[in-house]
Amino acid sequence: MRLGLLAALCACGAAVCASQARAQSNNVRITGLSDVALGSLSSASDTKVAQNICAFSSSATKGYHVTASGLAGGPLVLTNGGSTLAYEVQWNGASGQSSGTNLSANVPVGGFTSSATQQQCNSGPTTSASLIVIVRASSAASAAGGNYSGALTLILGPE
Amino acid sequence: MWNFRKHASAAGILAALACSSAAQAVPTQGTFGSTSTGIINISASVPSRVQITGLSDVAFTNQDPTVAASNAQNICVFSNTAGKKYNITATGNSAGAGGGGTAFTIGGTGLTAAPYTVEWAQTSGAASGTALTSTTTLTGQASTATTPTCTGGSPVTTATLFVKMSTAALQAMQSSATYSGTLTLVVGPE
Repeated sequence: MRLGLLAALCACGAAVCASQARAQSNNVRITGLSDVALGSLSSASDTKVAQNICAFSSSATKGYHVTASGLAGGPLVLTNGGSTLAYEVQWNGASGQSSGTNLSANVPVGGFTSSATQQQCNSGPTTSASLIVIVRASSAASAAGGNYSGALTLILGPE
Repeated sequence: MWNFRKHASAAGILAALACSSAAQAVPTQGTFGSTSTGIINISASVPSRVQITGLSDVAFTNQDPTVAASNAQNICVFSNTAGKKYNITATGNSAGAGGGGTAFTIGGTGLTAAPYTVEWAQTSGAASGTALTSTTTLTGQASTATTPTCTGGSPVTTATLFVKMSTAALQAMQSSATYSGTLTLVVGPE
């Protein structure tokens, strides 16, 4: 009888331990993203669009890293038929910023700390990071005329 | 001197790629997990643009009037349209009798304006070109330039501009007088 109770306690204890392990795992979430319409590009000055988004990290430090990828999981380019147009992506760990750390395709950049206190910033700060998309004037000047588009994928990971 | 003046992890990436290739609606907000993936669509437009650069003034100095004068120069024309197409319109102007308006002439105060001709070739280093008529647009030209001013790996020149004066025109000019005029070249996208 004692042995049975002990076994039950151990089993319960193991379940508690497992539950604690899951609660302590580090998770992240990126929300609040909007599509970016850069409009008609200038060949005289850079075209830049910044947006405030919610980047959440449940790690002890609220740290995270971010990875950007573009066309087919690769370069940061927009396409128009057979023509491509390079763009740049910058990330700032604070919202309301118009510049940040340059992200290269498929290269994780870490060292960011989130101020978000809720997964989707529904409480606390409503945004916690800035995403900046830039097309340089020099790229626009040499690009073939037409309408360009492309998907930008952003992947957050905890630190 | 006769002078013309012109003017994440690999797995994460693969997962993202799979998401994007599924043509799902964007923007896609991330979910809560060990990694979180968001996707946005970026759009932009580039208007049709052209640019003409690399022009040099033309000077026929102490020209022998029994020998026709000819100047050829290689210049850069850029067009970002499909096929890099463009058109060009030339306009002249000078002082002197008969030199007003838009004619291809050089002249000066108290002088009778002297005519010149203009030719255009859509390749650089050409031996001759298509004769241009003032204010009449030559269409269907194509460039090989890859940058607006033919720098950074682009062909350094893409077209040839010719300015010529016949012996008849030269022989009708007053010696030791300075003739000048302006040739304006306007390039448009096609």
